[in-house]
Amino acid sequence: MKNILYILLISLVAFSSCNKALETDSTRVVGEKNAWNTVEDARSGILGVYALTRAALSDNNGHWIYGDVRTGEFLSPKRQDLKAVIGNNLNASYPVLESLSDWTRFYAIVNGANVFLENVAHVKDTDKRYTTNNMTVDIAQARFLRAFAYFYMVRIWGDVPFITSSDEGNFANKPRESQARILAWAEQEILKAANDLPFIYSAGDVQQPSDYYNENSTRWGGALATKNTAYAILAHLAAWNGDYTNVSKYAKFVEDNYSKSGGGFTSSTDLSNSNGFFYNKNTRQMFGFNSDYGHVDGSSTGHIEELTLAEPVTTKSVPDIYLPKDSILKYFNIAKDQRFGVDTLGQARFDGRYFTNLNGKYPIFSKIKVIQGGGTDPNFRYFTSALIFTRLEDIVLLRAEALSVLGDQNGALNELLVVQGRRYDDINALALSLNTSDVIKLIFEERHRELMGEGSRWYDLIRYNKIKQNDAKFMNLINSGGIYWPVSRKLISQNSLLTQNAYWR
Amino acid sequence: MRYLGVCLVLFAALTLNVLSSYATGNKPNTGRTFNYSLFQDTTKNKNLPEKDSLRIDSLAQIKSKTLYNKLAGGVKKETKDLSLFPAISLQQNLKGNYAGLYVQEPSGEPGSIQNMFIRGVPMPLLSKKDLYDAQPLVVLDGIPLVREHPFAFDTQQFDFNRIGPATNLLAGIDLNNIASIEVLKDLATTSIYGPRGVNGVIVLTSKSAGGKYRAISFNSYIGMVQKPYVNTINGKYENEFRQRFYDLYTTNGRYSDDEEYPVYLSDSLNNVYSGKSDWTDLYYKNALIYGVNFSLAGGTDRANFRFALGNTKSEGVADETGIDRYSATFNINMRPTKWLLFSTMINANRLNRDRNRTLRDRFAQVNYFPDLSAPLPPNKDFYASYLQEYRKGFDDNKTNTIQGYAKLEGTFGKFKVISSFNADYSEGYRDVFYARTLLQGNSYASNYYGFSQRLMMDNKATYDLNLNKIHDFHFEVGQSMQWDIYKYNNAYAYKGVNDYIKINLLQSDPNLPNYLTPLAFPRELSYRFVDKTEDNLLSFYGKADYSFSDKYFVSAILRLDGSSNAQPTSRWFYSPTLSAAWNVKNEFLKDSRWIDDLVLRASVGRMGRPFSYDNYAQGPQYTASVGYTGNLTVPGYNAFGVLTRTYQFGWVGYGVPWSYSDQVNIGADASLLKNRLHVSVDLYSKTEKNQLIGIPAFAEYGYKQSIESGMSVNNMGVDLTISGLVISKSKFSWNSSLNLNHNANELKALPRGLDQLVVGNRFLKVGQPVDQYWLLVNNGIYTSDADVPVVNGQKLKYKGIPLKAGDPRWQDQNGDNTIDDNDKVLKGHSLPTVAGGFDNNFKYGNWSLATSLYFNLGRKLINQEMANRFDFVNREGNTDITSVKEITFWEKRGDYSKYPLYNPWSTVIPYRADQDLFLENASFLKLRQVSLGYELGNLLKKKNIKINKFLVYGAVSNIFTITPYTGQDPELVNYDGIDTGYGQPIPRTYTVGVKMEL
Repeated sequence: MKNILYILLISLVAFSSCNKALETDSTRVVGEKNAWNTVEDARSGILGVYALTRAALSDNNGHWIYGDVRTGEFLSPKRQDLKAVIGNNLNASYPVLESLSDWTRFYAIVNGANVFLENVAHVKDTDKRYTTNNMTVDIAQARFLRAFAYFYMVRIWGDVPFITSSDEGNFANKPRESQARILAWAEQEILKAANDLPFIYSAGDVQQPSDYYNENSTRWGGALATKNTAYAILAHLAAWNGDYTNVSKYAKFVEDNYSKSGGGFTSSTDLSNSNGFFYNKNTRQMFGFNSDYGHVDGSSTGHIEELTLAEPVTTKSVPDIYLPKDSILKYFNIAKDQRFGVDTLGQARFDGRYFTNLNGKYPIFSKIKVIQGGGTDPNFRYFTSALIFTRLEDIVLLRAEALSVLGDQNGALNELLVVQGRRYDDINALALSLNTSDVIKLIFEERHRELMGEGSRWYDLIRYNKIKQNDAKFMNLINSGGIYWPVSRKLISQNSLLTQNAYWR
Repeated sequence: MRYLGVCLVLFAALTLNVLSSYATGNKPNTGRTFNYSLFQDTTKNKNLPEKDSLRIDSLAQIKSKTLYNKLAGGVKKETKDLSLFPAISLQQNLKGNYAGLYVQEPSGEPGSIQNMFIRGVPMPLLSKKDLYDAQPLVVLDGIPLVREHPFAFDTQQFDFNRIGPATNLLAGIDLNNIASIEVLKDLATTSIYGPRGVNGVIVLTSKSAGGKYRAISFNSYIGMVQKPYVNTINGKYENEFRQRFYDLYTTNGRYSDDEEYPVYLSDSLNNVYSGKSDWTDLYYKNALIYGVNFSLAGGTDRANFRFALGNTKSEGVADETGIDRYSATFNINMRPTKWLLFSTMINANRLNRDRNRTLRDRFAQVNYFPDLSAPLPPNKDFYASYLQEYRKGFDDNKTNTIQGYAKLEGTFGKFKVISSFNADYSEGYRDVFYARTLLQGNSYASNYYGFSQRLMMDNKATYDLNLNKIHDFHFEVGQSMQWDIYKYNNAYAYKGVNDYIKINLLQSDPNLPNYLTPLAFPRELSYRFVDKTEDNLLSFYGKADYSFSDKYFVSAILRLDGSSNAQPTSRWFYSPTLSAAWNVKNEFLKDSRWIDDLVLRASVGRMGRPFSYDNYAQGPQYTASVGYTGNLTVPGYNAFGVLTRTYQFGWVGYGVPWSYSDQVNIGADASLLKNRLHVSVDLYSKTEKNQLIGIPAFAEYGYKQSIESGMSVNNMGVDLTISGLVISKSKFSWNSSLNLNHNANELKALPRGLDQLVVGNRFLKVGQPVDQYWLLVNNGIYTSDADVPVVNGQKLKYKGIPLKAGDPRWQDQNGDNTIDDNDKVLKGHSLPTVAGGFDNNFKYGNWSLATSLYFNLGRKLINQEMANRFDFVNREGNTDITSVKEITFWEKRGDYSKYPLYNPWSTVIPYRADQDLFLENASFLKLRQVSLGYELGNLLKKKNIKINKFLVYGAVSNIFTITPYTGQDPELVNYDGIDTGYGQPIPRTYTVGVKMEL
């Protein structure tokens, strides 16, 4: 009998221990109970929102297809899906177009920020290392990124569902909310965030005095949103709204304060050097998402180089998109442009800067070409360029645009020349030669040249046409909602409250 | 892990004590230890003659077998019937031999993954991951074999192959070591194997010594696989094929100004592409296969052993593929005292596999697409230079598997205690180096190591009781614990310093600052991935069998299973099974001369279905879900790891219950005409309930899908096995047997009570089968713009694009004047509605002739390969997966003339694969094998040479296929029924062999 007791005892021990073996924590994912406890969780959370933003903008090279390819100025020799974008056949059933009509990745930013905002207080409660200041700055960034995601979506789809909480456990389908309401909210939200955002991280800013997450300012420079970033986006948002008084105001703030963030202008050579402005990260990247080579963060996709580079810059026979020679010559119509020009014999000056192989079958748009570690190895199409949403030149030109629209043509010209002075050999001659009867046109032409390949052109065209109102075809696009993308059919079938954009029905 | 340790220690205590008792086996009384006494208390040992002890054991087995056969519809086969087929994998051996077991062989590449489904698929197969959850459990001598874990797909952009060696683990089973294979299909038999056996169980029983004093066996075959004859084409042919479209749809040979016609086709004087197309000389070849297995068995009833060594080589006909298997197996049975049986087994295998060299698989592995504007040329000389570059690197795929158990069986009269420790460990290595010349100047090195491990403690106690020789009881209680660990390390790097350093060397000196940084490859281009998951299962069951006068049999099982992959709030799952049988013969037909046996049986029950992923147990969870198309594995931002919700994996909420399977089986077994005709029929219905499925939802919260419980799938059908001894003369006999399964599946329910669901290109509708294709109905072509119907001034559109001349005439099913997904219909089945085999064996004296036929009916497939050829406009010259052209691009498969000439430039993509234009009937009948054998043993016996068996045979396998399918072999399709053209042919094989037993 004693033995039987032993058996029972041992089986009891065995059972309880085996039972514990069923309660293993996953080594692959983090469950709710192990999240939001330490300062590292807060860091993972806020940087996760950045990473989600980069993913949304990079997916299928969306930032450039939305912003540069859609204008129809680039041509695509082989890719049928890009041809459809260029021809404004956004309904065509190619996987890339289907994916670009799908806003899920943008709402992941929104949700990521919402989840962060709702949970970060728990970190504060459980980890003393997480300071109040750190939390304030993190919350400001999350709110900023969330508002930015809405701004970006509104530019692509117009009205979109408006959600500002994670609603976990009882997600509800929402209808599309008016773009005006969302933008009004976003503007307020960014203004609030701007109050709390520092000009610079880990560099003794009063609003962020210590080393942010124990890393120095080199680590964070260009990687995070600063007060200037917020005002730059505010300027963009106001411009999209046609609210040029505020554009001027917000842009002025950036012009006055950019140096506090270590910002500045970029030289013409640096702009197109493979280890220049777009390489890794630097504080001149006013709002950008780096893919630092040293961080093993590069990729063969998610960079404009995938679309634009080909022989002789990389060993790819035909580029996905290219700008025909005629167009190049048309756009770069001012002499002594340091980005690109032709000499009297029709040969390209600065071959290898904005354009390479001008006289080839496919001139290569090589402004951005950060290959591997900023080198020139053509063999391995592995790119590390940062995705730049805005930089100082962009904001100065926005201010010029605002002043021009508001009637201050001289002010506008001065702003324009601030940028042009860094792009043309002889600025005085240029200043004299400018045709000042149509300043707004000059500004947009310069924007086109300066920001080419940075995902900006499509929205510039919309604003330009809204100002000019003289292109009937484009005005029809604007008035009929054709400037927006169709909403993915998949989304509409998932959420019955959604409606298709009228133009694409 | 600490607790796992406790369990291990417990086991170790058992084993060690036992081993010591074995060491002193001749004087058991002194070797008695604590554990020993566990089993000994209740009974007195009578000194039976030792010889009888194992026999009693086997008699008991036979008895229980009989009883069990009456309860269940399992099919058991001796392997001698199967082992003449020169198969490398278990799946190939089983194919067409068991009613209700369906085997997919998507490629003839030896050692590649094959799928098995018992009685249909339990869920819609939406991705490769689902296949892992649909496979039956294979049990080798009581060891439930571990499989690979699908989690590795999480880091993969393309799921063509799982990373690692991707070798079929069941290619590690040498059939010469297996005595019998039993396919268990209903709960009456599978229930004791627990939740891992929910898809059915395949029970392999090793050969054992069997109490013979000495037995030596030698089995060997050698043979040749024969290269197929194919028609090749060259650039000129392809050019002419495409020109027809240019003639029709362009005026000047260019569809648009920026049209780029591929250079490799346009230059007709270019001998590289437009010359001889003789690449097949290097691609296809006759190849060698052989197998050798030698075994030695011996001992006495008290202690015996069997030891076997084997080597099998199976080369494929295409692309220099092949697999080598080295196997060793050893088992012993010992009976140190008459009441105690100790047995142990170790089975170890090594598999070396030479994989195919397809570009698609290579680029998917490398995750980089070079410039694809010039495909591999069809000319032998140029193809040879490519192969030469390929050979500068290597692609080593090695798999080691080892299974073993140690089992103690104590018998105390009617009381019996069995305790065993089982282990299965399989590890895979893949080491790859591709020279620079293969990838535009970039070399690639990759090293993968991964393992799957299952440890299992299994204890049970049984008690037999017989009252008045009428009431026969059998009681059983059991408990088992299974610990599974799956892990892999995968590293890869690009752009090595040269082509001589072929591995990604790391700095190994821990004192240097660059410790563990790559030396020969740039650090920035080196990637490392680690993943690990555990899956523990704790089970208890009780079982009671009762039989009355050999007429009525009843059995009941109640299980309780706890899984670490279930959510904490529903960790445990109860599942009962009840089965009964009625021997009609003994009841009514005792005197019938025609009917020798007739048994009716039925079982009904429930079984839990465990989840593969521990993610579900966590509820809402965080991971780094910040990658994007083409770059899935982004770990963080600014070199910090990040955590986000699992947006790509999907939302997982709380309250996820176990999913389970409710099964009913009704069967009858009859033996007629003096046991010359056996008929076995089973009707079954299996309903898989509460399964998880990702519902595309919550996009406005960032999620790709919401993983929810509530999907229910029913499989209903019939298994039929008829075997008859048609002629039975003293010298001549003819045995004929037919097995077939008819299965129909139906989606019963979706989560949230949804009626239908679109997941990717699949449409799931409640009430419809889950293996159907979702297709547009094609009615021809619009030859002019005026042909396109106009309603209210609006031309018929395809997803917003007006149709034009040259576009397909797709049927507008709902009449809304627009063609979209709502106009797609469910058609065809990717799984056969009827599948089976028909075998005939003839014997004349010492001669034997066997034929086996294999057939699939009611199955369709999508000829994607053909669709791709016509859709050349979208598949040319881009640096992505769609533009990859294999060397087999230069093989003419199928009939091009069947298809209308659409305008391939149209943005409606006229040659899309999701239309019934490419749906084809994939039913087939195959003559799988004809073998002729001669038994020399009888002859030799007459000459007083002691030999039990000496069979010499020759066989031809995969002889012909009859099918309406116009493409390659209709078997060579993916799990989803799509023929991508990537399946290597299943070759005709000639073998001669010998089976000898001394």
